[in-house]
Amino acid sequence: MMAATLKDAAARKPVLATIRLIVPAGAARPAPPVGPALGFYRLNLMAFCKDFNARTQKYKADTPMQVTLTAYKDSTFEFVVKSPSVSWFLKKAAGIETASSRPGHSNVSSLTLRHVYEIAKLKQADPFCKHMSLEALCKSIIGTANSMGIEIVKDL
Amino acid sequence: MLPSLVRASHAPLRRLISSFSSPRALSPRLPYVISSGGAGSLPPLILPLCAFSSPSRDSACGSSRGAQRGMGFCARAVDVSDEAPSTSAAAGYDLSAPYLSVRIRCLKQDAEVLSEALLCFGATSVTVDDIADAGNLDEISITSIYADGEDVNSSVSSAASSAGLNYSPVYEISVGKQCDWVATMQETYEPTEVADGLWVVPKWGTPPDPQATNIIINPGLAFGAGEHPTTKLCLHFLLEVIKGGEHVLDYGTGTGVLGIAALKMGAAVATGIDIDPQAIISASENLLLNGLHPNQMPVYLVSTSAQPSSLPNPVDESGENKLINNLDLESSRGTYDVVAANILLNPLLELVEDIVGYAKAGGIVAVSGILVEQVPKVKQIYSTYLDSILVSEMDGWACLQGTRRV
Repeated sequence: MMAATLKDAAARKPVLATIRLIVPAGAARPAPPVGPALGFYRLNLMAFCKDFNARTQKYKADTPMQVTLTAYKDSTFEFVVKSPSVSWFLKKAAGIETASSRPGHSNVSSLTLRHVYEIAKLKQADPFCKHMSLEALCKSIIGTANSMGIEIVKDL
Repeated sequence: MLPSLVRASHAPLRRLISSFSSPRALSPRLPYVISSGGAGSLPPLILPLCAFSSPSRDSACGSSRGAQRGMGFCARAVDVSDEAPSTSAAAGYDLSAPYLSVRIRCLKQDAEVLSEALLCFGATSVTVDDIADAGNLDEISITSIYADGEDVNSSVSSAASSAGLNYSPVYEISVGKQCDWVATMQETYEPTEVADGLWVVPKWGTPPDPQATNIIINPGLAFGAGEHPTTKLCLHFLLEVIKGGEHVLDYGTGTGVLGIAALKMGAAVATGIDIDPQAIISASENLLLNGLHPNQMPVYLVSTSAQPSSLPNPVDESGENKLINNLDLESSRGTYDVVAANILLNPLLELVEDIVGYAKAGGIVAVSGILVEQVPKVKQIYSTYLDSILVSEMDGWACLQGTRRV
C-alpha cells in the first residue's frame, strides 16, 4: 500500500511545485480553481479532473475536498485527496456559515466534545494523519474551534 | 449531526466516511497517491445537532437548517456554486474573464501553514514553488489565486494572523485571464497512437503517420483528447464491435472522439449526447475537422435528469449551436446497435436504464470512466440488463461491456 509513496520518495523526482486547492467532490472541471492553478504548470488538466472525479465518487457531490498536488519537473504529477478542512466540519456541525468575527469575545455557537471526537475520527482517516493520536487531533480541532468563536462544551 | 460525506447508496451501514482506495500507479505519466482510510468505518453514531447561538449573534445561525445549507464557508472560498456542472455549463465559459494572481513572500517555515490559511480565507488555490530550489534564502514565494473581485488584502491579513505569522507578508497582485491557462493547457496534447493504425491527433499537430486512421481533435474544454486510458479502452471496444453500418450512441460525448472514431471505423451514424454545452461546442467542431457532416453525427445537449425532456432545450447561448430538439433523440431510443458511455461511476449507476434503454435488443453497451475497484458495483447493476459481460482494464481504469437482454 505504501509502496508507491516509498518508491517515489526514493526516486526523489525533482518537484516543480506544490499546489493546494479545494475541489468539490465529483465536480472538478477545467475551470477555476483547477484551470489557472494546474494550467500554469502545463499539467494535464483533463486527466486530473477525470481522475479526481472518479476517485471522489464515494463522497456526496460537491463536498469541498482538500487536494494537494505535487507537480514534477517532468510534467507528471501526483495528488492526494483529503477530507474537507476542520473549519468546514465545525461549521457544518454547528450549523453556521461564517465564523465569529471576534473569536474569544463573542462566540458563534457551541459544540460538544462528542462532535470534536467524531471530527477527529474522520480526520484520522486522512492520508498522513494516521500517525496522529486522537488526543492530538482533538486538541487541534478544539484550537481551531476556539479561533472561530465556537465554544466546545462537555455536554449540551 | 455531523455531515454525511458519503453518498447514501446501497451500503447498509450509515458511514460517515469511506476508506480511500489503496494507491497504485496509474501509468508512468500519472501516478497518484491516496492512502487508505482508517481501520474500519465509523460507527453509525448519529449525533444530535446542538448549536446555540450566543445572544449577540444573529439568531438565524442557531437553526438546524444551517446544517443543510451546505458548504457556506468553503463555498465562499471556492465559489463552488459557480462550479456546479449545471450552472457553469449553462453559463458557458468566458475566456476573457479575469482572475487575480497574488504572489506572496513569506518565510519558508511558514509556507505550509500560510497556504492552508489562505485557502480558508478566500483563495481558490495556493501554489508553492519547490522549496529546495529557493537555495539558502529563508524566504519563499507562494502564489495564490482568487476569483476576480475578492478582497485580497483582508484575505491575506486574516490568513497571516490565523497562521500565527508575526509579520505582514509582502505581496503583489496581478490580473490573469482565463484564456492564458486554457492556451497553456492546449499545448500539453500530443498525437497518441491508440491502436495499430489508429491515432488521435490534436488539431494543431501533424499526424505522425499520414496513412493511418487519424482522428483530429481540438480538445477545447471537453474531455476526450485520446490519451486517457478510458478513451483508449472505449476506442478498443469500438474497434472490436464496429463492422460497418452501425448506429452508434456516444453517451457523454465530450470532444466527440468516440463518435467520430466509430464513423471512421465504418459506422453509418454516430449520435453524441452530453450535459455540458462545452462538449456540444467541441464535438460539433471536431466532427467538421474530421471531414464529417453533421447529418452523420448529430449532437444533442441533454438535461442532467435521467430522462431527457422532449421539449426543446432552452439553453442556447450562441446562435451557432444547434437549437436542440430532443424529439429526434427520444424517438431513437431502443434503436442503437452500439452504445458507449465514458462518464463516471455515479451517473452510470443512476442512469443505467437510460443508457441501456438507447440500445436495441441485442445491442452492445460499453461503460467506462470507472476505476477497477468500482467494477463490482457496475457489474452488479448492469448484469440486470446486460448479458455476456466482459471487463477490460488499463492502468487502473476499466471498461465493462455487454449485450442488452432481449
